[in-house]
Amino acid sequence: MSATQSVMRPLAPVLRSEWAKIRSVRALQAALLALLLGSTGISLLACGLYDGPGGAAEDFEPVLRSFYGLPFGQIAAVCFGVLVVTSEYSHGGVRLSLAAVPRRGLLLLGKLAVTGGLALTAGLFTGLVSVGGGQALLGEHGTDLAAPGALRAALGCGLYLMLLTLLAAGTAVLVRGPVAALGILVPLLFLLAPVVGTESQVIQFLPDQAGQQILHPQPDGTLGAWTGLAVMAGWAALAVGAGGTALQRRDA
Amino acid sequence: MTSIEINELTKRYGAVPAVEGLSFSVAPGRVTGFLGPNGSGKSTTMRLVLGLDRPTSGNALIGGRPYVSYPEPMRRVGALLDATAAHPARTAHQHLLTLALSNRIPERRIGEVLARTGLETAARRRVHTFSLGMRQRLGIAAALLGDPPVLMLDEPGNGLDPEGIAWIRELLRRLAAEGRAVLVSSHQMGETARFADHLVVLGRGRLLADASLEEFVAEHAGAGEEPSLERAYLRLTEEATTYRAKGA
Repeated sequence: MSATQSVMRPLAPVLRSEWAKIRSVRALQAALLALLLGSTGISLLACGLYDGPGGAAEDFEPVLRSFYGLPFGQIAAVCFGVLVVTSEYSHGGVRLSLAAVPRRGLLLLGKLAVTGGLALTAGLFTGLVSVGGGQALLGEHGTDLAAPGALRAALGCGLYLMLLTLLAAGTAVLVRGPVAALGILVPLLFLLAPVVGTESQVIQFLPDQAGQQILHPQPDGTLGAWTGLAVMAGWAALAVGAGGTALQRRDA
Repeated sequence: MTSIEINELTKRYGAVPAVEGLSFSVAPGRVTGFLGPNGSGKSTTMRLVLGLDRPTSGNALIGGRPYVSYPEPMRRVGALLDATAAHPARTAHQHLLTLALSNRIPERRIGEVLARTGLETAARRRVHTFSLGMRQRLGIAAALLGDPPVLMLDEPGNGLDPEGIAWIRELLRRLAAEGRAVLVSSHQMGETARFADHLVVLGRGRLLADASLEEFVAEHAGAGEEPSLERAYLRLTEEATTYRAKGA
């Protein structure tokens, strides 16, 4: 039996079960739909309403305008990642899940694969529609997906939202409750950078700040597009690793 | 024939022992009543059997192997630990589907266990509309899903109406008659006397008795009183009850 088969044979039923879990809870579907539509809609609106640089010479980057609504997608991605996990912990359902799949690493792998896969799909849609549609709506001020860095930004948006969702899910496994999870994630992702200021070198290494470099056709920070995304992947791996270790060790 | 074997099982939470040096087995073909005051370690023992909690020492085996070593464990042991664990937003059918898929259990089993627990007409209703009794039935349906040779039910009679209590009594008898090992915890002595063949009694995490129903009642019956399981049980656990109202 090959290595792939030895993982896929036990993993396949877990993937089907985790997909059925997400499909059957409306709150999870709502979070995913918000991820899909929230940032795309606002970004397209922002591009459609743009009427050129006002007054003095503006440093206008059309591709970045396509991600105007991304903060809404970010919040939805964090909520989706947290809810997928905590909807199971909030009423003891995790014991049912662990009794059905006692190999805890396998259960977590299945859950994260389905969750991350959905976020990636929604994120790629968001990225491609935001950039493709947004640039068309910008008209004379816009460019297109063939412009340097534009396609990279669109695909990077998918990876960025997937990593954000996995970071949120890993954190939620670690702390088990939605309040504690958001108590860590909201300051880390949404409060630290605006309060401290994005000029700080340290702030540029925060998960969202580092990951968003890929949305810039010409990244201007310390980190480049892909190195920034790699730093964010490191954050997600840290959260998933910490959550996974805690799940393996503690009593359910 | 699969049975549950508990060997020198000890679980401490910090310094507090929940289960201490516990050994007993649950044989196939009969209903074993699992008795003991609140906090005596019945639920802890069940969680340890399922690998949800890790023992401090000792082990619990199903057919000679730990529960967690079975790739599709719901086909080995059906468990009901907590009737409120089903996600309230799912329908009964969706709830059972998530469990069936994880253990490669064919979907036709969902209809079968819903029928066996009297929930066919509630299959498409969301769990948050269920009474406690219906949630118990759904929990039992989930336990039966994998057609397992071993069943472990933690107070399945809670919240059931009189018809439901009679139903579960008959169900337990039939499951044992089919050759399954059935472990059922309960605080209802009158009911337990009607469905159990064998008794395992815990007090403060230790084994107080492991005997057939008749032996147990005969051994612990007081002189000059009508022998009953309730009297025998109360006499035995008098010293081992952790939580008790004063002056009652």
